[in-house]
Amino acid sequence: MTRFKRITHLAAAAALSLASMAAAARADTVRITVSFYSAATGPYFEKMAAAFTAANPGHEVKIEVVNWPSLLQKLQTDIAGNANPDISIIGTRWLLDFVRDDLVEPLDGHMSADFRNRFIGTFLKPAEIKGKVYGLPIAASARALYYNKAMLTAAGMPDGPKTWDDVAAAAEKIKAAGGNGFGLMAKGTEVDVYWYYALWTHGGQVIGPDGKAAFNTPAGVKSLAMYKSFLDRGLTEPGPTDYTREDLQNQFKQGRLGMVITAPFLINQINKEVPNLQYGIAPVPTGTNAATYAVTDSVVMFKNSKVKDTAWKFLDFLFSAGPRIEFTKSEGFLPTTKAEAADPYFTGNERLQTFVNLLPNAQFAPTITGWEDTAKAVTNALQSVYLGTATPEAALKKAEDIANQALGK
Amino acid sequence: MAARRPTAIGVLPFPVLVMIAPSLLLAAFVILYPVWEILRLSVHEISRFGLVRGFVGWDNFTGVLADPSFRASLWRTLIWTGAVVGGTVLVSVPTAVILNLDFAGRGLARALVMLPWSVSLSMASIVWLWSFNADYGLINTILQSLGLIARGVPWMARPETAFPIEIAIGVIVSIPFTTTILLGGLASIPGDIYEAARIDGAGPLRQFRALTLPLLRNFINIAVVLNIIHVFNSFPIIWIMTQGGPDDGTHILITYLYDLAFRLGKPGPAAAISLIMLAILFAFTFLYLRLQPKDAS
Repeated sequence: MTRFKRITHLAAAAALSLASMAAAARADTVRITVSFYSAATGPYFEKMAAAFTAANPGHEVKIEVVNWPSLLQKLQTDIAGNANPDISIIGTRWLLDFVRDDLVEPLDGHMSADFRNRFIGTFLKPAEIKGKVYGLPIAASARALYYNKAMLTAAGMPDGPKTWDDVAAAAEKIKAAGGNGFGLMAKGTEVDVYWYYALWTHGGQVIGPDGKAAFNTPAGVKSLAMYKSFLDRGLTEPGPTDYTREDLQNQFKQGRLGMVITAPFLINQINKEVPNLQYGIAPVPTGTNAATYAVTDSVVMFKNSKVKDTAWKFLDFLFSAGPRIEFTKSEGFLPTTKAEAADPYFTGNERLQTFVNLLPNAQFAPTITGWEDTAKAVTNALQSVYLGTATPEAALKKAEDIANQALGK
Repeated sequence: MAARRPTAIGVLPFPVLVMIAPSLLLAAFVILYPVWEILRLSVHEISRFGLVRGFVGWDNFTGVLADPSFRASLWRTLIWTGAVVGGTVLVSVPTAVILNLDFAGRGLARALVMLPWSVSLSMASIVWLWSFNADYGLINTILQSLGLIARGVPWMARPETAFPIEIAIGVIVSIPFTTTILLGGLASIPGDIYEAARIDGAGPLRQFRALTLPLLRNFINIAVVLNIIHVFNSFPIIWIMTQGGPDDGTHILITYLYDLAFRLGKPGPAAAISLIMLAILFAFTFLYLRLQPKDAS
């Protein structure tokens, strides 16, 4: 008796909810996962979602903000559980894994010529695989050397060091005055990249044109030996394997570190936290040539999304001039669209222009399988050299073998 | 337990079996499905996102076993487990004995010992990481003000300092649980046997060795086994403080497995490691319980 009653109730409830679902069928909900770049990231996307809903009544955008270090793992588990969002920010260097598993949608079909023309060409390239564009560059950054004005002026280089020899000479003087000269980063992410600055500016390469590891060369050994000699001569902070990028940036903000190579977003942090800090930004020091590292993060659309058209509409909105300028300004990234680059905020910003001017010599992380393994092998090699447990030659040889195995060569 | 053994499933009356079947099936599903999944992963080449690329047989296992980082992590896991569990028991037994004495403020002292338990392991690890920070960590500040060191020591920079620190933190966070078990054990020892021992002229040390320790043995065993299982698989301390680095020098199996699965995107070899870990843990526990003398009374 009671059981029968309950079943009818259930059926009624189910019918009701089906009916309400049918009524709402035309209102799409787009789910987007974004990475936490700063405290401003979440509010920015919430604001854009609200603006989008206002312009497209009925459609809704749900934002999920995830910390950068756990973003890939989060997507990995979401995808395995078939609970992934419709669109997501990813590191462009991860893209190949997504494409190989056929998880993300080529965007060429959605892009009009006019849309494509919004971007600065360099930044659309890294997300292109086999002639198809899979990601839109939402964030771009390059690397340059930040220097403490007071320390470098005292060392006789008020405009910052130009070459690695300048770095060493300035660091000697800073050390004599009781400070840390050159920040050497050897913990956390991008430990490998921090050495690539030296490798590239000595004419070296990470991956050769044949797809093999190419860092175990005289240029590689020389640049690593240079970093090691900085460490041994006390020109860096002691114990670099205890210092992440954030640790070094903190030291720099506190005026305890003379020079550090990092991304443009430190400008915004300094403006907010230590506006009185006197500092300058110079290109990555040169050895035999100039180089820097450029990196983009991309927005991708997942193949299994059921609301692709609305999702694209939202992306179209995000990559229009107004939202782009607001985003790039508040996060302190480099412009990826022409409209941003033409905005007075960027054209008049000398510090950001230093980064923009470096782009012609910039190296992007290649979209190849085995990049993460290579990064890890190189990171371990660098750490073993900094710890003094291996010579540059031996460490790079070992890393080369591991990397070539991962690269399938 | 032993007395109840005859009522095994085989002799249960039929209706009882029917009635417990649903929960039995549910439990089997919850336990067996993940094991089946891991078995499946471990013999296939799997993409980062869980796509099966092909059957590889034992390749994941042989690959892992040939990896020097795996072998180093395995060895370090044994050191980690032995040192943390051993250290915990060594500290917890006297702590429990003291907390079992009758003294003013005992309630407060017990609360203080238990307090770390209420802090999540991840939070505790982050706080400790800051305490050992080279530039503004509490530890360096104290050592500097005592004049023991001239400038900040980068504790986490070298595996030789980082790993022992991680072990020490592992001991500290394991004490509350272990002490609780031992206090329960001490409460079950009747007071009059101590009185009898005193009359017979046994001093405190003798009482401890001849009465307390033997009567506490079962509880120590439980504490050791539970701690081994827990510590062997303990992830947050090492991951948060050093992420297994520098140069893979502080990896234990569980952090190494995570690194493989999520940083390098290799679920297959990671699944192989987790099966190896399961086997080790089984063997460990079985052996330990086997080695204990049966007549605990």
